[in-house]
Amino acid sequence: MTYKFKIEGLDCPNCAAKLADRLSKLDGVTSAKINFLAEKLTVESELSADELLPILAQTAAAFEDGITVRK
Amino acid sequence: MKTSVKAGKKLLTVPARIAAGAVLFIPGLIFEKTGHPVPAFVLCLLSMLVCGADVIINAFRGIFRGDMLDEKFLMTVAAAGAFILGDYSEAAAVMLFYQIGEYFQTLAVRRSRDAIKSLTDICPDEATLVEDGVERRVSADDLEPGQTIVVRSGERVPADCVVTSGSADIDMSALNGESQPRAAVEGEELESGAVVMSGALFCRVLRAASESTAARILELVENASEKKAKEENFITAFSRIYTPVVVGIALLVAVIPPIFKLLTFAESIRRALVFLVVSCPCALLLSVPLAFFGGIGGAASRGILFKGGSSFRPVARADVFVFDKTGTLTDGRLRIMSTDTPYDKDQLLYFAASAEYPSNHPAALCIKAACANPSVPTECREIPGRGCVSVVDGRKVCVGNAALISDECGKDIFAAARLEGDVFVSVDGTPYGGITFADALRPEAKVAVAGLHSLGIKRTVILSGDSRKKAEFVRAELGITEAEAELMPAGKFERLTEIMKDSRSTVFVGDGVNDAPSIAGADAGVAMGGVGQDSAIEAADLVIVSDNLEKLPEAVRAARKTVRIATENIIFALAVKLGVLLLGALGICGMWAAVFADVGVAVICVLNSIRTMRK
Repeated sequence: MTYKFKIEGLDCPNCAAKLADRLSKLDGVTSAKINFLAEKLTVESELSADELLPILAQTAAAFEDGITVRK
Repeated sequence: MKTSVKAGKKLLTVPARIAAGAVLFIPGLIFEKTGHPVPAFVLCLLSMLVCGADVIINAFRGIFRGDMLDEKFLMTVAAAGAFILGDYSEAAAVMLFYQIGEYFQTLAVRRSRDAIKSLTDICPDEATLVEDGVERRVSADDLEPGQTIVVRSGERVPADCVVTSGSADIDMSALNGESQPRAAVEGEELESGAVVMSGALFCRVLRAASESTAARILELVENASEKKAKEENFITAFSRIYTPVVVGIALLVAVIPPIFKLLTFAESIRRALVFLVVSCPCALLLSVPLAFFGGIGGAASRGILFKGGSSFRPVARADVFVFDKTGTLTDGRLRIMSTDTPYDKDQLLYFAASAEYPSNHPAALCIKAACANPSVPTECREIPGRGCVSVVDGRKVCVGNAALISDECGKDIFAAARLEGDVFVSVDGTPYGGITFADALRPEAKVAVAGLHSLGIKRTVILSGDSRKKAEFVRAELGITEAEAELMPAGKFERLTEIMKDSRSTVFVGDGVNDAPSIAGADAGVAMGGVGQDSAIEAADLVIVSDNLEKLPEAVRAARKTVRIATENIIFALAVKLGVLLLGALGICGMWAAVFADVGVAVICVLNSIRTMRK
């Protein structure tokens, strides 16, 4: 399934690319792309949206302060 | 809500920290220059810590992640390096200018993001539902087909719907860029995203908000930034190797000159640190996508939907525009262009209309519309693809194409009578007259074609399935340079491919009804009209929502401007980066100047990109 999330608090496109790399290596995630300008996170995963969201949010927050992921 | 408060707080504290950092830095700098290293050391260290705390914290996070090429880590290394070398003010200045630059960059990105959002903010969140005469506000997402809603002045239509009562002026500019408001009346279908200017409309919802026009436009615009232009892919690929290469060169600059005793160890490290502070590819990564992002958003607000960053270049470079005729240059509705008869014209139309009375063929409908009082034929036989053979007022009337007439009345009787037409009418076996059809030219077509020519697009071509005469008429009337007629759909595509061989970039403009292959096959395909036709939108690079041909020159101008700004940004960002690296290696440019140049480039590129949103 492909999910789309809103990702906010990213300040730099290079960090966005690195965070996307990181998210795509999470268990159960096939691919993750971040559109820095549209603040959109597109994730392909076998997990459900409810399972996925906390994992993504946690990883993003640990990556840098103030990054939030929501539906 | 929570997140925006948090983000706001974060931004507020940054200027405060920058100010505090500057207050500590300036006396520190003075102490250093006047030969008081101890107070200089203390003040600059404090300035660095106050100003760059988050940079340093994130640098350590980077190390724990195993990311040695993290920009914050490299920046911290640079500052720490300068500090150890005894350049206290230089180290503090690096952090200070880095923070100032980042702050402006964040602000600039945020502003342009907001500007683009407001351009494409066409989906209202709420709607007013009417149930049993009681109104209540609901989320637009909860609307279901069949429900009744009311839209009052100043509000946007939340979902595609049909007006059941009321009348109002509506403004469709957010959807199609047409600035003129128009009146909406009962029974009319309204697209979501339209704004009611005055009055109130009661409507029945036709489609859920998420499937309505505004949502579809928004989705196209959002997905567009994912289809990358060549320039964007270049910059992404470049930035991937940029950081490791620059850091690698920094190491060489630090190590090699001292080995050959060209520089002292301290001086070569100082020069290498300049490399570290410009090793972040952010300015590059920001400069190009933002230009396209702005271009897509700006064009969308005028009813021109570029399907992706990749759609700009072929439109900007176009030297040939190829048009489908029917439905694209003309309005696609048949009208009688001329009649050719030795008898009375009205009598000709009377016979034709009566004979075709039961028929629903477009030509029949058109003839019937032109005749005030047709009578019902006593006999009528409709032959599909040919015409009708009927008995009208006791006389045998044949109405149809040449094939029908030659079957019914004998060969070449019309050629002998020198009568012309698309449809022939015979009465009791003798030629009575011919009727020629045409569909009307779109009123704006001529101006649009002239607009394209004035932009330096030399060649314009009509590819039509219609007769040579009609295609030629349209060509001459609109000032188009070439017309090719009597082409089957497959033939159109074949001709298009031939035209493309001699052209830098060819744009095909169609209405998407039966020219999807040509729209898909051209360097850039333009689909005219609404977002309803999935196949055309799928195939097209560009959708003109308003179905207005005058948007074509506007689209070309927008594409050229966007490509130009993206190119400017690439060249500017690369030139400054390389310049700073060169000057740094030669020892001409210090660290803080390098930081300033680096983040300054990003800010200037962002500001330059904002121009793509304007006309």
